[in-house]
Amino acid sequence: MMRAAIFITMLLIVGFSKAADDMNYNRDVRPILAAKCFACHGPDEEAREADLRLDMRSDHFDAKEILHRIFTTDPDDVMPPPSSPKPLTNEESAVLKQWIDAGATYQQHWSFMPIRRPETQGGIDGFIRAELKKQQLHPAPRANSATLIRRLFLDLTGLPPSPSDLTDLTDEKYEMLVDRLLASPHFGERWGRHWLDMARYADSSGFLGDGLRPNAYKYRDWVIRAFNEDLPYDQFTIQQLAGDLLPETDPTATGFHRNAALNTEAGVDKEEARYQNLVDRVNTTGRVWMGLTIGCAQCHTHKYDPITIRDYYSFYAFFDNTEDRDEATTKSPTLAEVGKDRRQTYIHLAGDYTRRGPDVVPATLSALPEQTGPTRLDLAKWIVSPQNPLTARVAVNHIWSKLFGAGLVRTPDDFGTSGESPSHPELLDWLASEFMQNDWSRKRLIKLIVMSETYRRTSFPTRLSNANELENSFYVDPLNRLLSHQNRIRLDAEILRDSALAISGMLERSIGGPSFRPPLPEDVFEVGRSSNWQASPAPERYRRSLYIITLRSVLYPLLTTFDGPDAADACVRRERSNTPLQALTMMNDGVFVEAAQSLALRVLQQNPNETSARLADMFHLVLNRPPRAEELSRLQAFHKEQENRVQSGGEEALKVLGIIEQSVPIADRVEAATLVAIARVLMNLDEFINRE
Amino acid sequence: MSPFEQHFTQTRRDFLATSSCGLGTLALASLLRQDGLLAGEASLPANPLSTRVSHIAPKAERCIFIFLEGGPSQMDLFDPKPLLNQYSGQPLPDSIVGDAKFAFLQKESATVMGTRRIFKKHGQCGMDISDLLPNIATCADDIALIRSMHTTQFNHLPGQLMLNCGAALLGRPSVGSWVTYGLGNPSQELPSYVVMVSKGRGLPGGSSTWASGFLPSSYGGVMFRNGASPVLNLANPDGITPKMQSASISALNDLNRLQHKHIGDPEIAARINSYELAFRMQSSAPELVDISSESQATLDAYGVNRSEPPIKSNLGGIGNFQTFSRHCLNARRMVERGVRFVNIIHASWDHHSALDSQLAHNCQMVDQPIAALLKDLKQRGLLDTTLVVWGSEFGRTALGENRKGSTKVTGRDHHPYAFSLWMAGGGIKGGQVYGETDDFAWHVARDPVSMHDFHATILHLFGLDHNKLSYRFQGLDFRLTGVNPAKVVKGLIA
Repeated sequence: MMRAAIFITMLLIVGFSKAADDMNYNRDVRPILAAKCFACHGPDEEAREADLRLDMRSDHFDAKEILHRIFTTDPDDVMPPPSSPKPLTNEESAVLKQWIDAGATYQQHWSFMPIRRPETQGGIDGFIRAELKKQQLHPAPRANSATLIRRLFLDLTGLPPSPSDLTDLTDEKYEMLVDRLLASPHFGERWGRHWLDMARYADSSGFLGDGLRPNAYKYRDWVIRAFNEDLPYDQFTIQQLAGDLLPETDPTATGFHRNAALNTEAGVDKEEARYQNLVDRVNTTGRVWMGLTIGCAQCHTHKYDPITIRDYYSFYAFFDNTEDRDEATTKSPTLAEVGKDRRQTYIHLAGDYTRRGPDVVPATLSALPEQTGPTRLDLAKWIVSPQNPLTARVAVNHIWSKLFGAGLVRTPDDFGTSGESPSHPELLDWLASEFMQNDWSRKRLIKLIVMSETYRRTSFPTRLSNANELENSFYVDPLNRLLSHQNRIRLDAEILRDSALAISGMLERSIGGPSFRPPLPEDVFEVGRSSNWQASPAPERYRRSLYIITLRSVLYPLLTTFDGPDAADACVRRERSNTPLQALTMMNDGVFVEAAQSLALRVLQQNPNETSARLADMFHLVLNRPPRAEELSRLQAFHKEQENRVQSGGEEALKVLGIIEQSVPIADRVEAATLVAIARVLMNLDEFINRE
Repeated sequence: MSPFEQHFTQTRRDFLATSSCGLGTLALASLLRQDGLLAGEASLPANPLSTRVSHIAPKAERCIFIFLEGGPSQMDLFDPKPLLNQYSGQPLPDSIVGDAKFAFLQKESATVMGTRRIFKKHGQCGMDISDLLPNIATCADDIALIRSMHTTQFNHLPGQLMLNCGAALLGRPSVGSWVTYGLGNPSQELPSYVVMVSKGRGLPGGSSTWASGFLPSSYGGVMFRNGASPVLNLANPDGITPKMQSASISALNDLNRLQHKHIGDPEIAARINSYELAFRMQSSAPELVDISSESQATLDAYGVNRSEPPIKSNLGGIGNFQTFSRHCLNARRMVERGVRFVNIIHASWDHHSALDSQLAHNCQMVDQPIAALLKDLKQRGLLDTTLVVWGSEFGRTALGENRKGSTKVTGRDHHPYAFSLWMAGGGIKGGQVYGETDDFAWHVARDPVSMHDFHATILHLFGLDHNKLSYRFQGLDFRLTGVNPAKVVKGLIA
């Protein structure tokens, strides 16, 4: 292990180390100080040792003494002390020395600096190419038409293309396709779901009774509409945080902050539950819009970022006089400002709702440009003000992450000092500035990104035949942060199910409306107490997965198995795991089995005679490309093998026909049963589960 | 040699062309993070489920955590209080009750409720256990009974999340998830963390009780169902025989290999492994719950075929006796086969009323199989390395519950300030009572054990340092035991 680690360390150092004159506080020094020093020598006064803070230049900064403390071997003097779980590595000590020797200059944390529009040549591709060139990496070629079409369909609408969508792309046709997909009503479903993750959307309240929220879906539908209508992100933000304070605005959007779990158990301390609910609103607002782990300051001043406990409760004060309401005509759950009995907000010492500290008034974070005005509307406007350095950066990073599998900042909910720095800071700022210049239009931003060459590259580094090139790319940039190629992305849970339904022709495409319940075995939903699970009838049960009801105590297993969110906190980034339970789900879950059956029937009806044409057809329907010769021949072998088994299996083997049994002519039953098995194999291929 | 080292000892070209590796680029990324080479949200091991070395030498290798939801009454089971009957019908002084919160009990008029239970001393250690648990009582010398547990939560779900996940909030990983995250999965064909739930009143938190929370979902508990297809989606569709399935997996993986050759993404190799593991699980999981090879004596000891005495209504459900027996037997079969963490869950023990009859019924259900499990593990030499826990989110009040609108007092309300829990095996020093409560089991009188102390102790038995086992989420390094100091309870450890 050690050897491997050293090897990689060397590679990374060769790859990324900077010459002395290129020392950069934000990039090179602050991460070390933040990880190893700030806990005792950072912004938190209470925790500060020896009156020394290292997060900014202070009078107590004694360069000689600090160097002594870093390099001494005396256990009484050395820093971090031997008791710390985070000692400095030799490389880190060397970086600190280099920095101190050069005068120990500080910089404001990058994400707190104003967004400046950098000069550009060639937009996105220009920024990407420049970094690749520095590392002597070559960009991968453009992916072929079929791959690009499938990529665009999945990324923009979450549905696979149909055979008639597949064509040889010219630049012009590519752009037309982009425009068409951005205008598709399914765009709002795909991108709305990304937002619903962050809105911790659910159809139940969680906790003991896990009571239904029968009208929660109205907020979900508002989100879908907002994406489809390309509601500018600043308006989108203001309506969700303070829509109730705007004249003539549908307050449904304020349902954003009605989505959190709520404890209504008998005997619950109402004041505590209210406090927890407000804390969730504050923390979620900070993470989702500004990428700040503001929640860290709930109990004490932030250890790493310039957020004091006073900042926290001043921010909290914006929400302290809200009440939950249901909109009269639509019954949408909304947020509203209380009329009378307004509360005086105070600091809750140590995050304890019973411990009253000094009073505070509503105020935005002291480290960021100021905002006047005490209302939630003022807060919302401050969040989307062009002077706020975080909001646009966080938003474009989030959108980028959905199109490349990872953000330019790989910690999308932590733009603070303990998060990662952007791989391409100038690109991030350029995109943020474009975004704001284009009236915060998400569709235009997405179009800008998907039109780039960077987006259109193959999802693997150059060609395998060029082994040196490959190795180079792998070792210099193992995570593909420099984007020499696209990334393969395992499909989101919902998109897997939707894809299977779409290619089999079963998908019910209606948009919006109350959530539905797909079939679920009794013993699975009975573990919770919201145990009424009457499966919805067809065709409703074949609707897109974002309409599957989200009950917090009975999360739908198909979705959680593929890393769907639990709606406990805002989910800013989903894991993408790869487990045996996923394999079992794809092979045996009822919806995938039915999809395989329907797909078999579809192909049988399209190609009544010829086996290899059927196989090629089915392959094409599932993967949107023709099979290579070796693939077709393996499939043919499996077909033959399976056909024999079905024949000798008799009636029992024909049970695999399931829902298509009545639709298959008796003479075709063996072939249909064989095709079901083929469909099941194809829909389990890694290539189907991923978008290239 | 770790799989990762193996990679690097291969030639570089092989490294990129190999198809046998199960290490993806994401996994590599995690490894780099783990070695401190990249900062990141998570610090995941190479393969999330590869086995890992613990911080210190472990005493426990496996855990069977029996969670009896709702708060069983400690003074009717484990913590005898002779004064209860003496003061029955009288109020408790304010000096004891203080400003305690209750779900239903009306403090001003509440009085002490006596107990019909008879306590006797058991084992060489002379442990007092109630007559409702005659079989578990015979295991007294293996049990460390903690009478001084306390928790911060007096509502069910927050309390249950505290017990199972170390925090009163949704979205946190359960103890089993933390242990799996810390140590990986030693089994090649079974999940590391399995959960069995008896159908009863239903569990307030549902699957959040065993969820992976902010840890990746690979660390979550896998629910084993009651029936022939123990894991959801384990059974092939009708008409697909095991041979057909085997041929399907083979064709599937061949095609995946062709694609891997074509584009070289190691994630494809990981996918191939997942399908092979899933296929093995399709036979190993049904084998696991197929108890036909167990001797009649074993089946009888667990009570797998026993009959259930009649009862008119029961919060814990009716018809669960055989299921619970089977869960205990399955648990033994699981730990034998390398499953790391097993949850056995039953709801509910929330006896606000009808305590005498319903507590007795629930006890009758669990007493025989749990005792059989302890003895069976011991006889097979597994108890030394298998930790067995009996626990719930809190206990119950010495005061009878005089809920508004109810005419009779037949139950007790929630009580978080002092309650009982026991542990056995897996490095626990058995035959001892740890801690003490006051005369009404109201407050801890000696050696308090918090939920986080209890968690720190479990992790310690697994060789994990609760201060070091952490995961970066939302900018913080989260631990099972939270931010306030927790202690390993040394007195419990052999």
